[in-house]
Amino acid sequence: MKPDPVEKRKIPPRHGPFQVDRDSFMETCFSGGDSIPVWFDCDTGVDDANALLLLHQLDCFRLVGVSTVAGNVVLEKTTDNTLRVLELAGSSVPVYRGAGLPLIRDQITAPEVHGTDGLGGVILPQPARTIEDKPAWDALYEAALAHKGQLVLIAVGPMTNIGLALAKYKDLPSLLKRVVIMGGAARGGNTTPAAEFNILVDPEAADMLFNCGIQVAMCGLDMTLQAFLTVEELEELGRLGSSQALFARNCLQKALAYSLTLGQPGIALHDPAAVLYAADDSIFEAWPAWIRVETQGRHTYGKTVTDLYSDKKKPHRPQLVVTAVDREKFKARLFYLMGRYGK
Amino acid sequence: MKRIPVILDGDPGHDDAIAWVLARSRPELEILAVTTCSGNQTLEKTTYNAGRIMALIGLDVPLAAGRTKPLLAETMVAPSVHGESGLDGPVLPEPVREPEAEEAVRLMARLIQTSDRPVVLIPTGPLTNIGALLLLYPQLKSKIRHIFLMGGGLAHGNWTPAAEFNILVDPEAAEVVFESGIPITMAGLDVTEQALVYPEDFQRIRAVGNQVAEVTAEWLEFFYEFHRTLGYPGAPVHDAVAVTALIRPDLVTSIDRYVVIERGGEYCRGATVGDIWNLSGKPPNVRCLMGIDRQGFVDLLVQAVEHYGRGVDNEA
Repeated sequence: MKPDPVEKRKIPPRHGPFQVDRDSFMETCFSGGDSIPVWFDCDTGVDDANALLLLHQLDCFRLVGVSTVAGNVVLEKTTDNTLRVLELAGSSVPVYRGAGLPLIRDQITAPEVHGTDGLGGVILPQPARTIEDKPAWDALYEAALAHKGQLVLIAVGPMTNIGLALAKYKDLPSLLKRVVIMGGAARGGNTTPAAEFNILVDPEAADMLFNCGIQVAMCGLDMTLQAFLTVEELEELGRLGSSQALFARNCLQKALAYSLTLGQPGIALHDPAAVLYAADDSIFEAWPAWIRVETQGRHTYGKTVTDLYSDKKKPHRPQLVVTAVDREKFKARLFYLMGRYGK
Repeated sequence: MKRIPVILDGDPGHDDAIAWVLARSRPELEILAVTTCSGNQTLEKTTYNAGRIMALIGLDVPLAAGRTKPLLAETMVAPSVHGESGLDGPVLPEPVREPEAEEAVRLMARLIQTSDRPVVLIPTGPLTNIGALLLLYPQLKSKIRHIFLMGGGLAHGNWTPAAEFNILVDPEAAEVVFESGIPITMAGLDVTEQALVYPEDFQRIRAVGNQVAEVTAEWLEFFYEFHRTLGYPGAPVHDAVAVTALIRPDLVTSIDRYVVIERGGEYCRGATVGDIWNLSGKPPNVRCLMGIDRQGFVDLLVQAVEHYGRGVDNEA
């Protein structure tokens, strides 16, 4: 974590030029040291699918469990998609079914980005294995207990499962080493003008997480919109040649088309960016902040409210807002990891 | 030259004062009146300050006090930024002209009604008076050419994480204004926090040598002292950006977006929510200023104080 920058200057720089002294990616992620136990909570989803493919290739992580939640599409599909993508990756990690509906709100899904199937219309083979019986929140808690404070939680869907786990197990925050999420934004939104999709779907669950006493690193739109691939770069990814790389390219086509209609320069890889941040943060910029979720506003519910840019800073600023990434280095890491398939 | 009739409505306030120094210096503007609202300080203080500023810059037009309180909300003031008087710092001349007996909203309505050209409003405080005007005299909307306001911000707030001070003080009035259909240019924090006047610029202004230049430099020094503690490298002269957008649109960049005011919420009351990615499908109602040529802005302020005469030091 960087020293508090607020004393020096009010407004964090929005974009590079980045000055990364050294790129610690290979050292951190492929040094052959002890791997870190990771739990991944997702709503697969085309960018979740890509994140799963990356997670499987990171030597520094040992994926001990994956849980599914309703979000980009309904739970039945996010669960089925997760199993299929893990099969494609060659992973045998256990998968646990989570919540099918937000804590108290009506369900929202995002078929315009992910397709009605959730994988952008790409059909993957039926997986040989099935879902575990245990509910996601119980399995997450047991894993946290078993790994004695070492478990890293990466959550890239709506925070419903986390909210339920926190509600059921009061000591869960003290059992987790870190929490990294994809969700929210210090500025703007992508589903309403004020709110990002994952937080908008279940603002109450997200606020439970931000208020539970553990540090949350928020990989929101501020950073993830910088972690994009252009049309040409996505083609290049497909040309890596493995079935996994080809799948990555194909499943993102619909989301890419949608992003281009919004005037964005390419397809933002939201969830992969959160995974790469969790693995090695040396190419990212993150700032301490206070974060809570607006759950009451008429136009702003689902907004992650942070004091990052405000004149009035809160006295207690426990969270991290990830604000920027060196896109070229992000791309290089992505291509390196995807290039490991089929070798 | 057909001059543009404007009404200056504010809660001075250091940056309101500098905005008015700038407006008064421009021959293309015809200032019809000055009106005050409660904001940076109580109405009594902002009205007294307005009178003192008008005496300083030789502005002899009607001054009228507005509502003592926001439309619905309780009064909120900002002594930490502007001091107990609302305009702490240099000694100012006493007001020359008494405030009108007529209330601000009635004065504005009368001037707009009788103007032969549509009037531009430049509110640099909470939007209480303008909101009240539009509620009471909706038929005058067509006679208001444009509203250049300082307030809000698409990206973030300053007084709370989500809300900028002027909008937070009276979100209900802000909603009336933003939904009025009148063309609006919003000088929000996105741009005004870039409108920084650095300590070396204070000296340039002071060196012009007249009384207005000296007082402006001292205002900037006072205003900067507070912002320096927050980490700003200069004084953000928020309110002067609203005037700049009217007289020198070439110095600013903007995007047209649909913007709504959040009146509710646990954390977001007073936020100006802008539809950056056009997700709502609603047509833009606000021109949102996003960038400014800082050097050009400072040059403009220097030119503004030069309008008030060259000082003795510079005559040699």
